[in-house]
Amino acid sequence: MHPFDIKAVLLAKHAQHVVLIHFPIALFIVGVAFDFLAQGNKRRLWTAAAYCNLFVAALATIPVLITGILAWQWQLDGQRLKGILLMHLVLGCTSSLLIWTVWLIHRRTRRQPDAVLPGYRLPLEAVAVVIVALTGHLGGFLSGVNGPG
Amino acid sequence: MRRSVSIAVLAVTLLVGIRAPGARPGNVVASGQEKPSTMEVKIDNFSFGPAALTVPVGTTVTWTNRDDIPHTVVSTDDPKAFKSKVLDTDEKFSFTFSKAGTYPYFCSIHPKMTGKVVVQ
Repeated sequence: MHPFDIKAVLLAKHAQHVVLIHFPIALFIVGVAFDFLAQGNKRRLWTAAAYCNLFVAALATIPVLITGILAWQWQLDGQRLKGILLMHLVLGCTSSLLIWTVWLIHRRTRRQPDAVLPGYRLPLEAVAVVIVALTGHLGGFLSGVNGPG
Repeated sequence: MRRSVSIAVLAVTLLVGIRAPGARPGNVVASGQEKPSTMEVKIDNFSFGPAALTVPVGTTVTWTNRDDIPHTVVSTDDPKAFKSKVLDTDEKFSFTFSKAGTYPYFCSIHPKMTGKVVVQ
């Protein structure tokens, strides 16, 4: 591997995607946990913490999506996906969309001083956590964390 | 006496034959006398089995994915001598080695999975 080969450095046999994916997963789940806590005790500090976590989680999905798509294009030559790989791609895109949606709901409320966070966001966040967990599970299964690979 | 010597020679010949280089597990050698036209490599539990395979020129090697998850078989050389599509469970990929040489390969989804085919 040449140290100045951009493709090799960025992709590193698609290891970057496997590393980067942990950031949005952790930040989003923690952000949702803070939001649920904020809903229970009505403290603004918890809401602010939830907002910050959700914001960085949304940002972190960008490099994850890029490295995932590059891995598909470079390692698999962009061939038509099926089975677990296709499911992982679809769930990954859905997860990213849900993370951004949840953050935008929080952002819209935050920009209006007297606005209150809508109640429907909580079931949406719960569904998003399940989808994110399922995507991560499939990713872990694909990467071989459950096996010697 | 001559019979005993013959038996001893036969026994030594058999022992040498059994312990010949390449006879150990993980390094399968197809001898020139057998001249197999096809050899199989199984992909299972995140590994190629056998990981090292020695075959004569003209042999077709078939990889079969016995694992629960998808794998690929991609030549490490540049330009790539062979490259499979994504193989789901029980799918196969075959390649005929028409030139002598060593062909290392790996799974592009799981780069730690490696193997090689030595063509003589």
